[in-house]
Amino acid sequence: MAPSQAKYAPTLETFLKSLKGQPLEASIESLVFLLKRRQIKGAEQCATATARVLLQVVAKSRWTDVDQLLANVQKHGATLTQAAPRELVISNIVRRVLGLIRDEANEDRNAAGDEYGVDSVSDMGALPTPPEQPAPTSRPTPQPAGRPGPNPIKPGLGTHQSFISKSMFNLLSVVDPSDSTGTGSPVTGASTPVFQATSSATALRSEVIDGIEEIMDELSQADDQIAGFAEVQIHPGDYILAYQPSATVEKFLVRAASKRHFTVMIASGPQQRGVPEATYASLKKKLNAAGVKTIHIMTGSFSAYMPRVSKVVMGASAVLANGAIVTDGGSAVVARAAHEFSKPVIVLSGVYKLCPENSSEVEDPVELGDSSSYVSFADGPLVDGVEVENVVSELVPPELIDMYITNLGPHTRDHLDDILADHYKLEDIDLPLQ
Amino acid sequence: MATEAEGAPLPADETSSRATSSTVPAPAETAAAPAPANPPKLSNAELKAKQKAEKAARRAQAKEAKASATPAPTAAAPQQDGSKGGKQPSKGGKHESSTQEQQSAAQRPGQPPRRPSMGGKRPSLVAGGEQDPRAAIPECFSHIPMAKRIPTSQANKDVHPAVLALGQQMATFSVRDSIARLKYMLLAFRKVIESYETPKGNSLSRHFVPHVLNPQIEYLTECRPMSFSMGNAIRLVKAKVNKFDIDTPEDEAKEAMLEMIDNFINERITLAELVIARNAADMIADGDVILTYRHHRLVERALRLARREGKHFEVHVVDDPFDQTGLQLAKVLRSEGVRVYYSPHLGGTHQVGVRRASKVIVGGEAIFANGSLYGAAGTCDLCIAAADAGTPVVALCETINFDRDRVSTDSLTYNEIDPERGSGEAFRLMFDTTREKYLTVVVTEYESETGNSPAQSILAILRKQEDQV
Repeated sequence: MAPSQAKYAPTLETFLKSLKGQPLEASIESLVFLLKRRQIKGAEQCATATARVLLQVVAKSRWTDVDQLLANVQKHGATLTQAAPRELVISNIVRRVLGLIRDEANEDRNAAGDEYGVDSVSDMGALPTPPEQPAPTSRPTPQPAGRPGPNPIKPGLGTHQSFISKSMFNLLSVVDPSDSTGTGSPVTGASTPVFQATSSATALRSEVIDGIEEIMDELSQADDQIAGFAEVQIHPGDYILAYQPSATVEKFLVRAASKRHFTVMIASGPQQRGVPEATYASLKKKLNAAGVKTIHIMTGSFSAYMPRVSKVVMGASAVLANGAIVTDGGSAVVARAAHEFSKPVIVLSGVYKLCPENSSEVEDPVELGDSSSYVSFADGPLVDGVEVENVVSELVPPELIDMYITNLGPHTRDHLDDILADHYKLEDIDLPLQ
Repeated sequence: MATEAEGAPLPADETSSRATSSTVPAPAETAAAPAPANPPKLSNAELKAKQKAEKAARRAQAKEAKASATPAPTAAAPQQDGSKGGKQPSKGGKHESSTQEQQSAAQRPGQPPRRPSMGGKRPSLVAGGEQDPRAAIPECFSHIPMAKRIPTSQANKDVHPAVLALGQQMATFSVRDSIARLKYMLLAFRKVIESYETPKGNSLSRHFVPHVLNPQIEYLTECRPMSFSMGNAIRLVKAKVNKFDIDTPEDEAKEAMLEMIDNFINERITLAELVIARNAADMIADGDVILTYRHHRLVERALRLARREGKHFEVHVVDDPFDQTGLQLAKVLRSEGVRVYYSPHLGGTHQVGVRRASKVIVGGEAIFANGSLYGAAGTCDLCIAAADAGTPVVALCETINFDRDRVSTDSLTYNEIDPERGSGEAFRLMFDTTREKYLTVVVTEYESETGNSPAQSILAILRKQEDQV
């Protein structure tokens, strides 16, 4: 279970810290609880947590070949996805990791194919199976890894050079018994062949881990990279309306402020009972220090301000394939008002938030949240009979959005498909259905 | 200009007799007033210009007064802080009692300014202290007026006590929507008329408006920008006074004016509300889901009326999180047995609200000459969402709220800044303008053969009607 910190509610940080000392299952379980309790929430946090846990899955779970690894990642990924179905980024990260594994495996196979042709003809003469089909051979034997089994072929291979055994690994890994890196226990007699096979798994493992670390780097740098496009989009004298500015939007504005003089209208979201009103004090301070004026607009409606606004900037918790975004409740009204007055709506989102789903596939266009933040629970007649619907996140239809800025640059709606194709493998797109 | 200057001696004398250093602003006040030969026929624009000039003068005066009498306001401040959030005394009966002291305060100009005993002081105004609260308004919105509490001691001494009290109530928003303000203004004017005595050598028809009525209007405008209905009513009252023959006996004229005001309240306010509620309730059918925005008294009446008639429908109230007036409506409807959905903010309106609803019914503060609706901020967003979803929008508005002269296509032309949130640190506009294309039908008390007409045709009829009066 989660590391019970007696006084503090667990957060992403405590969770990440806890990862090291915990077995994998415990980590996953604790993340599931954290997600369900919304103690880890928001696209950024969920993405980071997912990436870190998948890294653990790759590093610690028992697997001996690519397919087992894929299955492991899919299984655990599905668990996380179900824990927070509204956080679409979770399955995005899972897809990214799956794609990464497939890529690495393919590279290995390809490399193996080359080697096969060049070096090992004589040695391999006895092995008829072409290396392109490792998957079918591996399927029928879902042998529990880690059990040392008699292996008729391995001993023979053991004498080969290591790079050949690498290629062989792909053919025969089915029966590879050792998966010791994660568990750390020398299960077998540690014979040479086993060791060599392991070393190849280790290679894949470390490559995948490197890949996941790259994804995590991408997550942490996305905001900065997005901010890099700020000065192009924001012009001197602009009035920028930022609805509930997220960290991404804040960075974007602050970066623009270093180059341009404009005015930011910060629209705080609906005020909530008991929750200290979001003041955006640090954002205001930074902007003001750079000579950018701020106007904090406290309202739930935006048509009135739109004639003055020149651009609307908003963050998203997910961007869907058709260009719709999932974002904070109230954003649809902002975007619609901007559209009414023909003001561009710019959505800032890391590529990792781009989902292959379409808006029709999203179960519910709105997410209802805690109603007690607006209606006192002591108010009998209200509690009794009125259905309070506090929408905390909603879908903004694609036609209201003019531009998407990701860490790769500014895009139009039509370009989203290409980015999707670059980042996800076709076979992983249906992931949440599994 | 000439008549105003000639008529000026009286007010000028009065201002100079005021204790605090008013010698500087007083001439400015009279000189800046661009009054035409016939003051009662001031056009809106001119009136505004005049008020503006006087406001500027008064502000300067207030500053000086404060500089000279700092101890008094600071002493009063903590008391007001403590009373923050306190309830206003209820209107009506309280008028007289609280105005007694104000009158005495106003008539003893040498004394330090006495604050009215009413609570409900807006915190930001107190915090504003010596500064002009308008100074904090972001420049791009600086053209928009804002309600302002002025100490009764700084009001023009010609302001009638009843009006003084009403002004405070308007500035603190305890008398709030356009019709309530109109009604109480007319009631206060009744008192002004009742206590009016034509000075010797003057005629009521020449004296009453410029020297008695106008100061009241100026004061009220200063407390809170006039609603369009108030402007309309004032125009009608002035037209009435103008029609009196110069020799009309005072009693007769006063009687006629009082009668006119009573009729006005009966016809244009009380009856109008009834008829509109009736018409709107007729539009509600069994099984409807009615979407409405915040609390509007016409909408509430219509919904309750429909319910009393045994209609079965559901209501979805969308509220403004910064001004939750819709909660009360939700509660009232619930207690009448209506199934109520309540959204604390506009989130989800596009995806759920307007799609579930079969009709949107909103109330308006005013309707402009181009047919666009001036309503509580957020009305526009809701109506646009409804139009997108193909849900019909019904707007309810009394004809007295129709403005025949002003045209507004966006919400920054005519609006008001929330005095509680009137700075860059916290800013909020109170109204917005919904373009006519998003309103399916406007329900007024005006009965036409087809039932309900678009706003444009009603305006045309109103123009004719009022020109005949």
